[in-house]
Amino acid sequence: MSATFWVWFGISIYIVAGLAIALMARRQLGAGVSEFFLANRKLGGFLSAMTYSATTYSAFMMIGLAGLTYFHGVGALGFELTYLCGMFMMVFFLPRFWLVGKKYGYVSPIELLSDRYQSKWVGVTAAILALVFLVPYGAVQLMGVGYLMNGISQGVIPVVAGIIIAVVCAIAWSSIAGLRSVAWTDAFQAIIMIVVSAAVLGVVVASLGGLGAFFSKLESSVPGLLTVPSAKGAWNINMFIGLALPWLFFLISNPQVSQRLFIPKSVTAMKQMLGGFLIFGFIYTLISVLWGFSATLLVPGLENADLATPTLLALPIIPMGLAIIVMIGITAAAISTIDSILLTLSSVWARDIHKGLINPKVSEKGELRVGQWVIPIMAIIAFLFAWWVTEQPEGGLELMISPLSAAASAGLLMAVPAIFGAFFWKRATAIGAIVSCIAGAIIVLIFQITGWKPLGWWPGVWGFIVCVPLFIIVSLATKPPKEKAEEFIGYLRGALKKGRFI
Amino acid sequence: MSKSAWAWIWFAFLLALDIAIPWYVLTRVETVSGAFLFWTVWVAVAIISAFVIFLKWKEVER
Repeated sequence: MSATFWVWFGISIYIVAGLAIALMARRQLGAGVSEFFLANRKLGGFLSAMTYSATTYSAFMMIGLAGLTYFHGVGALGFELTYLCGMFMMVFFLPRFWLVGKKYGYVSPIELLSDRYQSKWVGVTAAILALVFLVPYGAVQLMGVGYLMNGISQGVIPVVAGIIIAVVCAIAWSSIAGLRSVAWTDAFQAIIMIVVSAAVLGVVVASLGGLGAFFSKLESSVPGLLTVPSAKGAWNINMFIGLALPWLFFLISNPQVSQRLFIPKSVTAMKQMLGGFLIFGFIYTLISVLWGFSATLLVPGLENADLATPTLLALPIIPMGLAIIVMIGITAAAISTIDSILLTLSSVWARDIHKGLINPKVSEKGELRVGQWVIPIMAIIAFLFAWWVTEQPEGGLELMISPLSAAASAGLLMAVPAIFGAFFWKRATAIGAIVSCIAGAIIVLIFQITGWKPLGWWPGVWGFIVCVPLFIIVSLATKPPKEKAEEFIGYLRGALKKGRFI
Repeated sequence: MSKSAWAWIWFAFLLALDIAIPWYVLTRVETVSGAFLFWTVWVAVAIISAFVIFLKWKEVER
């Protein structure tokens, strides 16, 4: 039977299993906004760890990161592990988000900012930032699925068909039971992601003679890829910092992941979430990078880095069945990220824009209805963006995973000073937060669109250089919400002590 | 100095190593035991440090 048949067969099983899991999760669904968007803050440690992992790690890993490794070598490992090292900051932020989430009933991290700064405009600014930068990031996931299915079926399945499948799954899994269906399907998908990627890497490394022989071949064939700057010189310190800086703060800058800091049901669940994620991230990063290195040995000379994974999967050394399962694993990584983005953006729209700005008197039921309607609308916007990119004359791959992911993270980085200020600086003000977010985002967008990199520094770096001092100076020049700051930070001081948090 | 301040300093130190060692010390080591091994061990240290801190957390009243 043809590859196309097996692709459809594999995808059908994946969709049926995912739907069954989402429908099972629906049985536990209660009423209310907090229930739909946060599973009523009662998720256990395992589910919390898995949904955090599956949301964080997207199609970027086995396609984008593998491609970066293929072209630039070990620097890609350094960049991704710098992100993981940034997770050390969870020891500060996880208990803080969790405690204030419970005390004040925040549904989204953006609502936290609005309340802390006592300004709905801070929320609106952060919400717009999230909408502007997360929609392209979501679209990247859709495109990843489209190109992968197209590649594995040797062009028989059109890119747009893969995109549509991803959109439909993401809408279904985020709509059926909100965070409950997303978390359950995320757990299912996280397991697929790590198991199949480890299995296929094992097959490839075995075909190269085992791990020792694999490393020896790397050292003899592509020694220049084992150092930084890379032998080609493209992966220099500016590129490294340009990519690593936005990702270092990913845990607080991306609302779809920081919203997950509200959901563990207890401190024990929080610990399991953090520990589980760190172990998952470490293993999955090494697998993705070694996968990229194996592509440099087995399919050298590709012009487009994002084609490394589909090309490697098409080699005869990889059994067709395993290639299909890997494709499903990458599809799972993409869909588990986009459904979380959709759910977060819908909560942001419902709570921070609709209730915060348009209709403050809306009932909880009405707010929930708005959120549920926003899920397919956001999905359609992401779909149209992805479709538009793939229809570009040069081909969508030019705008693919790595550049768009980097641009999205760089934009979201501009909210970081405001988030730090909310937790650590009583003098921080709403105007400081708004001005720094807007100015930083404008710089990132201009530099990203024009491709301008003064001194060779990347857009995110320039945006950050501008927005941090701007946040401090404008805050010092304006009036802080003194009473709220005292109450918010004062509460945290006491609560942190009680739980032996730092 | 508070435990929190020490933790921030430790984190900053890890980030300094992230740039200094692979980009300036190991830059000519074209083997797996160079930057590849450094970053793998370095992040393992960061993860273990996080475990050391968060395993001390205790349950709070809900």
